Amino acid sequence: MTVTDEELVARSIAGDTESFDQLILRWERPIYALAYRQIGREEDARDIVQDAFLRAFRALPGFKGEAKFSSWLYRITLNLCRDFMRRARRAPFAPTPEGRDVEDMASAERSTAESIEDVLTRQDLSRHVARAMGTLPEEQRSAILLKEYHGLTFQEIAELQGCPLSTVKTRLYQGLTMLRRELDRRGTGPARAEGSRTP
Amino acid sequence: MNDPRYCGNPDILMSYLYEDGDEHGRHAFEAHLQSCERCATDAAGLRAVRDDLAAWAPPDTVLDFRIVRDPAPARSRWAWLTLPPMPAWAQLAAASLVVGVAVGLSGLEIQYDQQGLVVRTGWSKPAAARTADASAAAKPADAPWRADLVAAQEQLRNEWRQTLPVSTTTAQGQGSPIGAGKAMSDGEYLARVRQLIEASETRQQRELALRLTQFMRDTETQRRADMARVADGLGVLEGRTGAAAAQQREMMNYLVRVSQKQQ
Repeated sequence: MTVTDEELVARSIAGDTESFDQLILRWERPIYALAYRQIGREEDARDIVQDAFLRAFRALPGFKGEAKFSSWLYRITLNLCRDFMRRARRAPFAPTPEGRDVEDMASAERSTAESIEDVLTRQDLSRHVARAMGTLPEEQRSAILLKEYHGLTFQEIAELQGCPLSTVKTRLYQGLTMLRRELDRRGTGPARAEGSRTP
Repeated sequence: MNDPRYCGNPDILMSYLYEDGDEHGRHAFEAHLQSCERCATDAAGLRAVRDDLAAWAPPDTVLDFRIVRDPAPARSRWAWLTLPPMPAWAQLAAASLVVGVAVGLSGLEIQYDQQGLVVRTGWSKPAAARTADASAAAKPADAPWRADLVAAQEQLRNEWRQTLPVSTTTAQGQGSPIGAGKAMSDGEYLARVRQLIEASETRQQRELALRLTQFMRDTETQRRADMARVADGLGVLEGRTGAAAAQQREMMNYLVRVSQKQQ
């Protein structure tokens, strides 16, 4: 039976460091993904993940369990990302996979059904998406990230961002609309190429 | 067909897009999409954006964070001497006691008269002795000219002793050196002293020139080493840029070949 986050948190508070290590193992990937997509730098994202877990560990005795552990961790991470970008006074940017060997890409990232052309197209689209996301205001970008990649509910995002539910939906709508415009302006992609589709 | 309940309402559109609303509301909005081209285009466009977003994945990286506690410090054998935490008032009282005992032991003497406030401990030396000590301490013991001065002084003394007649030194024993020094005239002494000073100056100038040359040689060597390092770095950079360009070229060639095959 899988131990829940809440149980692991309780054990960690009681002094069991291994339980917290389990929490890290469980959440380091999503937290890294959030940090990376938020700031766009691999090394810095790793630093932020490390810092986030360290802060969470230190603040654990004060964690009342009113929110989910993951939401709390997301909040810490987003705050760290915000601090990082404010400190560095720079917008997120998307590293490009340029300079990589086609053969490498083919072997490393290609599923059996995917041709090299598909891989290249996906890489290209990924780069466009990353750049387009970098143009969004921070609140809209976080709302999209939390909804799209982390599957948080509107209510959870509202609590994380400290705003009403309707504001979250508005931010999502505006963010997606801006992305759509930006991606259309930039060019291609599988979804773009297909054009309008009915739900 | 324009419907103010749905058209331009992000709340409903987002709930529909993320399947968040209730079933009835979703069906109602779907029905609206059939009749409203603007909303249908909007919804389809945003759905396509969501599909595009799926292409963006973070790079694979090794994450192996662990919480590691610092090992507990080993218990010292003097740990029994460590006092338990004390309240502030007790610490203040202890500090006052220590200061009081120290004042008593040192025989503190505080004097206030026309000369001003004078604080003196029982161990203090008289003012004259203190001044002498202070002036002695103020002399730079390791001044570079001191060694030369001592050497010159020593040389002068030796020469002086050599000029004394042997009979005079043995007969007079503890006699005055001034009286004994009459063998050399004052003018000669002065000339000799000047000569020694000049020799000392020449030696110092030579030493200075030597050190300056050494310093310039060191600086030059360091500069050459730095330049070589910069040149190496630039070479590496050029190599990397060239490699990246070659990779790009290869990729382009490959794409061209693939597209030609497909045609």
